[in-house]
Amino acid sequence: MAESGAFKTLNDKDVVSTRTLLHEAIPITGTIVSGTYGDNNIKNPSHGMFQSVYDYPYLSSSANHIFDITVGIGTQSGLTITSQADKKKNIYNQMAQLLVGYDHTGSIQRFDEDGNIVGGGKKLDDVFIIPFSRLLVKDEIKKGTFQLELGIDDAYDNGGAIFNSRILISDQSGSNGYFVNSPVGEYGVLYATASTHTAALALDQSYAVGLLYYQAGIAVISGSVFNDAAIGGILNNALNSTDLIGQGAVGFSSVSASTTQTIASGIRNRIYNVQFNNTTELNSTIYFCRANHQEFNYSTNPTYTNASKIRVKTNSTDEPVSYITTIGLYNDKNELMATAKLSEPLKKTPSTEFTIRCRLDY
Amino acid sequence: MALFKFDKDDIFINTLIAYPETSFYIVSGNVYLDNMPHLGQTNSDVPDGYLSLYELNNDKPVGQKIYPELFKDWQRQNFKYYTEASLNAKYSYGDTITGSYDLSASITVDQFSTNASRRKINSLRNSLDHYSIHSKHLAYNSSLGDKSTQELTLVSIPSIFYGERIKKGSVKLDYYVSGTLIGTLEDKNYNGELVQTAPVGSVGSGSIAGCVLYKEGAVVLTGSWSLGGGIVSYGGGVSPYSPYYLKWTTFGQGLVEGHSVDPDHLSSGSYNLSFQSVTHTNTLMMMAHAKYGECNYSNNPTYKDYSHSSNGVALTSSVSFIESSVPPKNITHTELTDVTPPLERETYISKIALYDKDKNLIGYAKVATPVRKTEDRQYTFKLKLDL
Repeated sequence: MAESGAFKTLNDKDVVSTRTLLHEAIPITGTIVSGTYGDNNIKNPSHGMFQSVYDYPYLSSSANHIFDITVGIGTQSGLTITSQADKKKNIYNQMAQLLVGYDHTGSIQRFDEDGNIVGGGKKLDDVFIIPFSRLLVKDEIKKGTFQLELGIDDAYDNGGAIFNSRILISDQSGSNGYFVNSPVGEYGVLYATASTHTAALALDQSYAVGLLYYQAGIAVISGSVFNDAAIGGILNNALNSTDLIGQGAVGFSSVSASTTQTIASGIRNRIYNVQFNNTTELNSTIYFCRANHQEFNYSTNPTYTNASKIRVKTNSTDEPVSYITTIGLYNDKNELMATAKLSEPLKKTPSTEFTIRCRLDY
Repeated sequence: MALFKFDKDDIFINTLIAYPETSFYIVSGNVYLDNMPHLGQTNSDVPDGYLSLYELNNDKPVGQKIYPELFKDWQRQNFKYYTEASLNAKYSYGDTITGSYDLSASITVDQFSTNASRRKINSLRNSLDHYSIHSKHLAYNSSLGDKSTQELTLVSIPSIFYGERIKKGSVKLDYYVSGTLIGTLEDKNYNGELVQTAPVGSVGSGSIAGCVLYKEGAVVLTGSWSLGGGIVSYGGGVSPYSPYYLKWTTFGQGLVEGHSVDPDHLSSGSYNLSFQSVTHTNTLMMMAHAKYGECNYSNNPTYKDYSHSSNGVALTSSVSFIESSVPPKNITHTELTDVTPPLERETYISKIALYDKDKNLIGYAKVATPVRKTEDRQYTFKLKLDL
């Protein structure tokens, strides 16, 4: 800190480093995902391995990519896949090796329903995966804020009637019940509950239906959310399984003979709402610059003197006065690193003291 | 994977200077940016003709917009649109401070009649005087006019449209009535003066009707001569709309700050402002060489022939364990079907990684299709990074 050519050294108590978490609320309504723009905001890459969703027709330079949808079928799945079998298996393996990692034999581990990989338990082999854009996720998804609402009516319709019965998938234990045994950071278990009426689910309870990887920004959700209890799903048998693509109420098993992009469209049309908060870490250093009563009362500014006399000190008894406009921060070699400007000059006399707080965000 | 060091002839730092063009067309109180039609978005906070700063909430109605939030705590982090006082008045400690991403910008037009107060012009006084060394027409007060009192119009261009500065000699203003061009201003002298250049022989042609401040993004129009059409009935002459003259100081009618706009009563005047801006982009170009006999080995597990008989064979003793080396897989191309060609080490280069001096990976470049590298071929890959 300089006083018009003189420097005042900042001590340890004058410098504080802090961290602030900035969040953004991300609401994505189902009408944006399917409906408002027809399919003009949906891009289907020619390789057919996933479908990309934008928040505006993707040919516009204003469009932002918001998430992809794909499906992964593990090698131990009970489904017989006849369409894009290798691609669906590869997607599963790629995601599993990235998100779950390998076991001690070098084999890719499968997605675990409750996150307790060592403890065994139910594995998720038939899943759909939603990797959210880094633009939305930023540093990470804020734990405990993720909500995905899906329409689970058994009828096939893209016109909104499929939202009469809905389930809510959320990371309700995210804030304190997350896991750290993933190569890509922390993840929480996604639970499904009935959203519109309690009879939507086989039992009036929470079902573990997927995993949410907070830093990676990827949701892995079991296909069982579209299946009734009779075929191993979570939906009430009375409601039947969901008809995703117009092939009958067969639930997620329609993935067997349909392409990834077809089933992705079916899932996308079932999205009623997605919302979460993201997190960005802001690091700051605060410099408390202290101007004591006997300091910074003079200036080396050429305008401070006139005819070899201090302008503001006509009589010897007058107090010296200066106006603080800028604070310069220097390194240990007295090289100027940064300046902080005050919105208006501060009058400094021997009878006043200031502590000026400079915050540097990075 | 081989590591090579760039030498001084392999790295070039260039500056790319670009002149992107921007235009604003003003008609019936609307602004058309770069002649783009209005798309009828529902997000009224970013009006048509405006540039959205974040572009996060395109066409999103209230309740479906992304917005930032943070907790108010002792660190006093804040969004820029709250002053310290307004923040304290609105939020207590522990509250969630919410912001908005609906920040947008477009040109604004301010008209000042003779002797009217003009704070925006006054704030440009130092800049105008600074550039007056190029032309007296830019001076705040000179024998050619006193900008503190004379009738004038200020067109303000936000810096998001031009970045560093407006390119000298690129500014052009067109004044139309019923689709007919009645006047054009250009800074043809590259000194900030706006000279009426068209139509040839028009009233005031060759006269200086204002000035432009390239770094500040301000266009000051002082030309108050009639452009030949007399009075145009703006608003039908009915209060609060008053007739206006066709002159440069009425440029941008319909967009003037503080004037009521009634689309039903607007005249047929339309206006175009176009300019080029100057941007500097530094680029780092790196030449990565794969020379003869180099980069012909891969650590990829598929590079080796694990079906070879020496795979898994080890020489063991009481003091050592020596594994036999496994040769590379022989993928040498041959037209012959019954003869195995001699082994030639070859790889397919798919990626070039960049490391810092501590061998930390700091970036990588992918080639569109893998490049076959044999021992008798050499390549130079040009990597370009915009900084």
